[in-house]
Amino acid sequence: MKLSRIFAIVEKETKEIVRDPVTVAVALLIPLVMLFLFGYAISFDVDNVAMGVLDHDRSAESRALVDRFLASGYFAMAESYQSAIEAETALQRGAVTLALIIPPGFADQLAGGEPAPVQALVDGTFSATANLVAAYANAIITGFGVQTAPPIEVAARVWYNPALRSVNFVVPGLFGVILMAFPPLLTALAITREKETGSIQQIFASPVTPVEFLSGKLIPYGLIAFLQIVMVIAVGFLWFAVPLKGSLGLLFGVGMIYVFTTVGIGLLVSTITSSQLVAMLLTLILSLMPSFLFSGFLFPIFTMPYVLQLYTRLFPAQYFVDFSRGVVLKGAGLAELWPSVLLLLTYTLVIFALAVWRFKKKVA
Amino acid sequence: MATNDMVIEAEGLGRRYRSVLALSDIDIEIGVGEIVGLVGPDGAGKTTLLQLFAAILDPSEGRCQVLGHDTVNEAAQITSKIGYMAQGFTLYDRLTVAENLSFAAKIRGVPGGDYMARRRRLLDMAGLTPFLDRREGALSGGMRKKLALCANLIHEPPLLLLDEPGLGVDPLSRRELWQILDDFRSEGATIVLSTSYMDDADRCDRVAFLDRGRLMALGRPDELRAQAKGLVHSIVSDRPAEAEAALHGMAGVLGIQWRADSVRFVMKPGADISQDEKARMDALGQLALAEPGMEDVFTILRGDESVPGEAETAVATRPAARAATGKTGEIATKGLTRRFGDFVAVGDVTLTIAPGEIFGLLGANGAGKTTLIRMLCGLLPPSSGSATVAGVEVTSDQGQLRQRIGYMSQRFSLYPDLTVGENLSFFASAYGLSRRDAREAIGWAVEMTGLGGQHGEMVARLSGAVRQRVALGCSILHRPAALFLDEPTSGVDPLARFRFWRLIRILAEGGMTVLVTTHNLEEAAYCHRLGLMDMGRMIAIGDLSALRAHFPGRELATAEDVFLAFMERERARPQSERAAS
Repeated sequence: MKLSRIFAIVEKETKEIVRDPVTVAVALLIPLVMLFLFGYAISFDVDNVAMGVLDHDRSAESRALVDRFLASGYFAMAESYQSAIEAETALQRGAVTLALIIPPGFADQLAGGEPAPVQALVDGTFSATANLVAAYANAIITGFGVQTAPPIEVAARVWYNPALRSVNFVVPGLFGVILMAFPPLLTALAITREKETGSIQQIFASPVTPVEFLSGKLIPYGLIAFLQIVMVIAVGFLWFAVPLKGSLGLLFGVGMIYVFTTVGIGLLVSTITSSQLVAMLLTLILSLMPSFLFSGFLFPIFTMPYVLQLYTRLFPAQYFVDFSRGVVLKGAGLAELWPSVLLLLTYTLVIFALAVWRFKKKVA
Repeated sequence: MATNDMVIEAEGLGRRYRSVLALSDIDIEIGVGEIVGLVGPDGAGKTTLLQLFAAILDPSEGRCQVLGHDTVNEAAQITSKIGYMAQGFTLYDRLTVAENLSFAAKIRGVPGGDYMARRRRLLDMAGLTPFLDRREGALSGGMRKKLALCANLIHEPPLLLLDEPGLGVDPLSRRELWQILDDFRSEGATIVLSTSYMDDADRCDRVAFLDRGRLMALGRPDELRAQAKGLVHSIVSDRPAEAEAALHGMAGVLGIQWRADSVRFVMKPGADISQDEKARMDALGQLALAEPGMEDVFTILRGDESVPGEAETAVATRPAARAATGKTGEIATKGLTRRFGDFVAVGDVTLTIAPGEIFGLLGANGAGKTTLIRMLCGLLPPSSGSATVAGVEVTSDQGQLRQRIGYMSQRFSLYPDLTVGENLSFFASAYGLSRRDAREAIGWAVEMTGLGGQHGEMVARLSGAVRQRVALGCSILHRPAALFLDEPTSGVDPLARFRFWRLIRILAEGGMTVLVTTHNLEEAAYCHRLGLMDMGRMIAIGDLSALRAHFPGRELATAEDVFLAFMERERARPQSERAAS
């Protein structure tokens, strides 16, 4: 292996990339677009849920209960109804997520110390939100009637994301997903393009070894990917105000390892495919899709069937998502997170070794 | 072990791609300082053989030693020493001339001091010094090829393997390529190259003739030509069409070449011309033995074993060509000019081409030939001047113009994943032919181009020569009055080329006007008139003898000599004068 040859390839590759400003712009802008879209769009927060009210009682107490809902900040008054049929059609139309039905005699029953039944109808089509809405409604209604302190007090504290902001959870996960989405695509095209133009034959018929050639490709694309991660992390902290509990240096350091994992996947794909189109499709299937589904970014892995859980272990995005959340939200360090880091490192080496092994200096 | 003076030693070398045998049983030894040319029809295995020599492809049978190393076990030693130039343009188009060279030097560990000296020498020889900072992608085809050659010589390899170095390169650049090669050979380099130009083959020390994966002949060009002695005849006649028709019925005729004032034909070894036949031909013109060229050697070596399926119908039968639209295909331009920014791609071209004329457009890469054709086809609006093709002003009614012209581009625009029949049907519907007309037109085009029996073949699996005929078939479906062919025969072997030109002539005799560009100046002989272009200008128009008359007292035997004489004269004129003319 000769460093001067690796350097020559890095230099050549960098010039080619820089002279294609469209690719550079796309490579740097798309991750940001994705970060903004996902940062804003994905939210499990219960906030301003549209509610409708069918108040048969029309008393001061029933109005106070409705006020309690509105004052909580979680609910917003959308409609009020005259009949149960109206409430039902409103749920069906999707106009409201919660319909609150207060029966006649609500105030009298409260005053008489009797149990006062109140009905809360929740649209359960999206189960995650429905559960939260039902629980919030339940809590508000239960708290309304109770004047004295209960015998057991539960002191529940939420750690690591006390405000329960979805964005705090989504953005550190996105670091892992975005890096798995774009760098492999760019790299996969880098070698297949040379195969398509035929320039790779000049590399075959030269002293350049597979390790040198692949390293020379890995480094510039790794740097672009690192630039992406820096950008995404900066926007995550500065724009979305995600709190950083752990060490920024550690996040970047392991981010660098992860960058080479993702670029390595692209390299491996491009050594086994011969056209840019196939390389692109294969990369999407190997990197982008699993990073969404199996990284724990949106869908918790522990709820998956056991066999599928084992399958998810094949994809490296998961390790970085775990690591990133650990550092950002929990303030964890290497002492706690070393298994994820070790797995990433092993993964990168295995991928690169596979790519070198698969890359033959032969035309067929 | 290899003896010291053998650079390549192959024994029983063969290569199989799945079930297809691309190359088999090749025995060849190539010594130090030799230039060996590989010739043969499409799919003969030339590229495969070069890749085996370059150790970038493993043989499936036999073995090969290159520079004393085994190509399988010691491939790294071979690839680190040789130069290998693949077909097509294989440098980095976003890097400049200097950067491409410097990359080639760095990956081969050329020391910095040597690099600058060698770069200067190579670029001077190739005439590329003024373009040091130009991106490779912005160079003309000839310059790109020369640069690729320089990049492969920067480490002064003892062995240089070149796959079709002259493909798509104009005669001037090709001559410069050869000067560089001769120079390096004189320093002891060994060169193996594949080519479809027979004059390239003539310049080699030895020529290896490959056909369907086998080595059919190997020898010095003069030895090979001597084998053809007595087999090549010509009839000088003012009725070449009749002479040709007479030859078609004759037994033992392997190939017929039609020239402006004569017909050349090659007889099968051992076959005789009977007294009757001789008498018939004498009546038509003067029958004489002709000096065999490499093309004739090629024809004899291929013999009557021409690939089955590549039907001879086009040669055997002679379907009537008829121009469809009833319009004549006259082409007339006046002061036609096209600028790209400050750059004048075509400047002030005034030209008239009569119906039924075959007009050959010659010129170096980047001279403006393709731009001119694109304007005449209505694909590119002229900056100034006017042009009328088949009675339609090119800037006016595009739809009407398209109905009257046919265009075959450098890269045949066929759909590789469709069959021959599907391609033809698609183009028929694209021209808006009704179902019945389309069926008739396809039948006619298939008969014309001799594609019978290949309807169901996938285009991707066809050889370049057959693909070329499919492309021609597609472009004449609507029976255009004027036909434009942009380098139609590039990379096609001599036999397929003869066949193609015969088709063109039949079409022209039917009244079609044909405008064709080529870099193969032997083909100038098939054209009625020639137009020479240089830097966007039409510098001369006329038939070959008229062009020759521009240089009284000079011995200009071939069309190539005439072309180069004109180019020399242009280059010698001061820049200011050329711009003003």
